[in-house]
Amino acid sequence: MTGIVTVLMFVEYFFFPSDWIVASTVRTWAVIIYNISLGLGGVRLITQHVWGTQRRKENWQFSALFLVAFAVMLLGGLAGYFGTGVATSNSVYNWLFNNVYTPLGATTYAITGFYIFSAAYRAFRARNLDAALMLIAGCFVILSNAPVGEVIWSGIPAIGEWFRFTGQVPGMRVFGVVGALGTIAYGFRALLGKERGFYAGGEE
Amino acid sequence: MSNQNVFERLQNIDRRVFYWVLFITLMVPFISPIGLPVKVVQNTRDLYEGITGDNINPGDIALMNFGYGVSAWSECAPGFTVCAKALFREGARIVFMGAHYDVELSMNKLMNDARADFANKVYGVDYVFLGYFTGGESAIAQLATDSWTVYPEDHYGTPVADIPLMQDFHGWQDIAVVLSSDTGDVGSYFLRQWQGAHGTRLAEIGIAMNGSTDYPYYLAGNFFGLSIGSRGGAELEVLIREPGEATTAMDSINASHLLIVLAVILANVGYLLSRRKA
Repeated sequence: MTGIVTVLMFVEYFFFPSDWIVASTVRTWAVIIYNISLGLGGVRLITQHVWGTQRRKENWQFSALFLVAFAVMLLGGLAGYFGTGVATSNSVYNWLFNNVYTPLGATTYAITGFYIFSAAYRAFRARNLDAALMLIAGCFVILSNAPVGEVIWSGIPAIGEWFRFTGQVPGMRVFGVVGALGTIAYGFRALLGKERGFYAGGEE
Repeated sequence: MSNQNVFERLQNIDRRVFYWVLFITLMVPFISPIGLPVKVVQNTRDLYEGITGDNINPGDIALMNFGYGVSAWSECAPGFTVCAKALFREGARIVFMGAHYDVELSMNKLMNDARADFANKVYGVDYVFLGYFTGGESAIAQLATDSWTVYPEDHYGTPVADIPLMQDFHGWQDIAVVLSSDTGDVGSYFLRQWQGAHGTRLAEIGIAMNGSTDYPYYLAGNFFGLSIGSRGGAELEVLIREPGEATTAMDSINASHLLIVLAVILANVGYLLSRRKA
């Protein structure tokens, strides 16, 4: 089945751009299956955490907290829906999102700045020539990303850009090309039915 | 600690000291803005020019993808907002969609931040919000082929058949430009399934961390323009001549970047001097 779908997509991409109904139907099915998997994921998540809470597994308190949060969002959203007739835009759901989820998400993301700052101070040491070169390049790139770099010295943006375009981009291109070749190899293995991997629960 | 000399102490400053220093350094510019000038780099200029002037016509349809969630508002939202404003001012129509489940919040923020531009636009005619999609790259590929099968209705439950703008959007051939703003991979889905497959004009408004991944595609011409992080957003605000959130954030970016470099220098001075002494 994997092989058939692979051939289908391959042939469509190169020979029937955008107007082959068979491939289009298969893709629609893929989207539907993806949506079903989201529902299954939700059910699995609840089952897992109910099980963990019931058996008092390690850190079961977090599982209980998850179930409470899940219930609050679900029931709050449903209450808002039945109360206002509006689905995900209802006031209850929006209130929960705006006052709980949004500040938590923004805080979690912002906190990483503090960790990065502390980690940079502790980890970046010029222990040898290679590390020193990386450190110097890193400092130029950091300062070239901020307007203050140009204020300190007008040459900083130019040097930072040189490191970016001459040093970094070729490396990223290599990664990209190698990754693409690996994907082609993977595609052929899938085409031949050899790439079973975790999809089929096998080792290969 | 008491047995350490001054060089060793320089290397082992308590992390809480740094947290407080960083916190105060980030706060000061918000209380007393410094406002250093922001230089516009070529990739950002290419993005802006690619959606204005002769590169976009009144009535053209632009597809704008919210590939970011609430947590990345500071990096992605300012640039995304400027692009939406610029497109509206050129008379383009916009289809909004998103790969994050909190996409509605991002859309609400956009409508608030660009309310003057949305005020004279009619929903369903000048713009439409299709909402959240699932299905990953398959969905993006299918969107290029038959958009109505991915989105049978808009975010508010209106069938797309009843939305005037959607009568003109069935697939890639109807879209003049795609702008994807991402923290993850959705931009690369558009790259493979739209730009690579059909030559659709595509630009990226990404977080700073994705800059290194996106540059090769910009230099190769896959992205006609590229905005990177808050800095990119600030540059776009300079180009549209409307300072906003990103311009405000630039002071904090300046302070934090400078502080990190100073901290690294401090630690290395201590390290090198203590090694020489030993």
